[in-house]
Amino acid sequence: MVPISYNLRNLKVRKTTSAAAAFGLALVVFVFASVLMLANGVKKTMGRSARSDVALVLRKGATAEIESVIEDSSINMVINDTALPQPASGPRGVSESVVVILLDKVGADGMSNAQVRGIKPEAFTFRPSVKIVEGRMVQAGSDEAVIGRAIAGRFKGLSLGESFELKKNRMIKVVGIFADDGSSTESEVWADFDTVRTSFKREGYTSSVRVRVAPAQFETYKASIESNRQLNLQVFKEADYFEKQSEGTSMFISAMGIMIAVFFSIGAMLGAMITMHAAVANRQREIGTLRALGFSKGSIMLSFLLESIILSLIGGSIGAIASLGMSMVSFSMVNFASWSEIVFRFEADAGVIVGSMIFATVMGLVGGFLPAIRAARINPIEAMRA
Amino acid sequence: MMNFIRISARNLLRNKMRTVLTILGASVAIIAFVMLRTVLSAWSTAADYAAKDRIATRHKVSFVITMPKNYVDQIRAVPGVKSSTYAIWFGGKNPKKPEQFFATMAFDAPSMLDVFDELLLPLDQKQAFLADKQGAIVGDVLARQLGLKVGDRFTLQGSIYPGDWPLNITGIYSANRKSVDRSSLFFHYSYVNDSLPPDRQDQVGWVASRIDDPGRGPAISTAIDQIFDSKDVQTTTMSERAMNLSFMGMISSLLKALDIISIIILFIMMMILGNTIAMGVRERTREYGVLRAIGFPPSSIAWFVVGEAAVTGFVSGAVGLLLSIPIVELGLGRWLEENMGAWFPYFRIDVQTYVMGMGLAVVLALAASVIPARNAFRLQVTDALRRLA
Repeated sequence: MVPISYNLRNLKVRKTTSAAAAFGLALVVFVFASVLMLANGVKKTMGRSARSDVALVLRKGATAEIESVIEDSSINMVINDTALPQPASGPRGVSESVVVILLDKVGADGMSNAQVRGIKPEAFTFRPSVKIVEGRMVQAGSDEAVIGRAIAGRFKGLSLGESFELKKNRMIKVVGIFADDGSSTESEVWADFDTVRTSFKREGYTSSVRVRVAPAQFETYKASIESNRQLNLQVFKEADYFEKQSEGTSMFISAMGIMIAVFFSIGAMLGAMITMHAAVANRQREIGTLRALGFSKGSIMLSFLLESIILSLIGGSIGAIASLGMSMVSFSMVNFASWSEIVFRFEADAGVIVGSMIFATVMGLVGGFLPAIRAARINPIEAMRA
Repeated sequence: MMNFIRISARNLLRNKMRTVLTILGASVAIIAFVMLRTVLSAWSTAADYAAKDRIATRHKVSFVITMPKNYVDQIRAVPGVKSSTYAIWFGGKNPKKPEQFFATMAFDAPSMLDVFDELLLPLDQKQAFLADKQGAIVGDVLARQLGLKVGDRFTLQGSIYPGDWPLNITGIYSANRKSVDRSSLFFHYSYVNDSLPPDRQDQVGWVASRIDDPGRGPAISTAIDQIFDSKDVQTTTMSERAMNLSFMGMISSLLKALDIISIIILFIMMMILGNTIAMGVRERTREYGVLRAIGFPPSSIAWFVVGEAAVTGFVSGAVGLLLSIPIVELGLGRWLEENMGAWFPYFRIDVQTYVMGMGLAVVLALAASVIPARNAFRLQVTDALRRLA
């Protein structure tokens, strides 16, 4: 086999061409990795909102909390189902009223939907991961709200100390900002339960009920609620619900990303091919000499393929490392399932990095294939005479 | 000058393989660019082609809250309003394929066909629709997807309005305006309203009105909002265009991302072009030395390089645009219009995109040739003659 240091040195000698080809590959991998990170971020953000021991109860047929309507008279039966044991601490269940409001965006034209959750004080004890990080808690029965960390500052009126209109002459003041380990809950506005219900004329109804159910008891509980035809309700595992919520958006992003990646990679592969063709053409004599020294056709081909892969791996690493910088950026868009704005982060994990490097390797392999064959076919005698 | 370009073009033919690869690479970049720009422009089509003489009224705070139906009569009484219709967002699904999204709206049918006159419907189908309380009309694109024809029964599964809602397909509409989503389903408001419990009845999601003078749109909108300002439920009225544009805010970051990506693709193209040009210059160093030795000034040498780049850029642009017509317009565009008509009712390449694609291909090729041309310009005759390719 031809030593790899031969290829490395060659890439160094032709540094402008190598750099241009590697930079093109780096851009492609950067875009590819960023899209993967975004799709990953959507899934992770929604996934973090789910707790394994919580069941979400919605109106039958509703796919999102805002679509669901549950009469107050049903809530007691849902929370105090006889099959459920009393939890060790905290409330057994919470009922909440979820609406969306249109607000002007900050830093972009147009408006978007913010999700507003009408909560009772026990919402915080029910979700121990939610913590006030700035300001204070909402006072029960007041026209106050706390907002998630991710959504703060993204809409007009959604900043600490500012107010937004829930209804004419009903200004809701933002008194605190909460965090929830980076989940999609951080894109919500939490206001008092009765304030939301009266402003939206929803007295007597809530949107959803969350109940603490141990995973082992989930099926029994689900059967018990769903078999009651009068209730006409549906029970989800919170994890399944959120996975479904993220499905459409993450699929959309992935599909768009794949389409872009296909086109970009064709361009980058051709770039690599041009570089490798030139490398082969300029080194006819060297190749002839190598063959005369006894290196086989196969080892010449392998050597050029390796050179192409090294080139693409250099480009790929630069692109992948640069894409890690995107972790600093958050991305806010409407989640198609709930039609409300959710803030995502570009999130890298091992899968994204490995995926991008494999992508780079494949580009190098495909781009280098034809030139490598050409190199292997060179006739040593003619090449040395040239 | 003409001569330079001819000689540059000849030079390109010397290494055909490389030229072909370069042009292919650059034209793929142009295709991707055209595609991304078309996605961006398709999104704003709804806003660009919105009816100028139509305004829409919705609840001031949220689209999920409804307004009392009697608001419609008060809007109709506002001077300047020609006719009004009202609707609710039904949010129905096909029970056989619940994951497929299409818009389902329940309209006041007689006034709706009047206000939305861009919906083309044969007269007999129109009459059948108006006569049948369970009647529904679907866009031709959706009808093909669901395999529906006039006279079929179709059951819609409600989520906001739970239950099964059997419908008769009484008509299939097409459209004469690009912004119309031909994959929607419309049916009768009264059908839904009469089935609701009394406390949920007589509520409407939004009101669309035709006005007699588009120029007075803002004034009429203000007049409407003022009527309800002191009422329990306030409204926001704006032109159809403004409303469509305001919803673009929901995907603004996505649009920005696509914008950035379409710029990155141009950089990739520049890398491919620059790389090729630089290679050509390096290989021909000796020739350039000879040319200089027989009396050509350095600027001529630089012009050769620039001319070669310009020709490459031009050809790449032309090939890219030619290829993008079948790919974007016929392949992808048809597919998007059929399957994602709700988002892309009209997916065609803009004239501006063509001009921009062609211009950028040439300009970027020229930009990519700056460094190699400068190197060729600075070449010392003796060095060049001494150097081996």
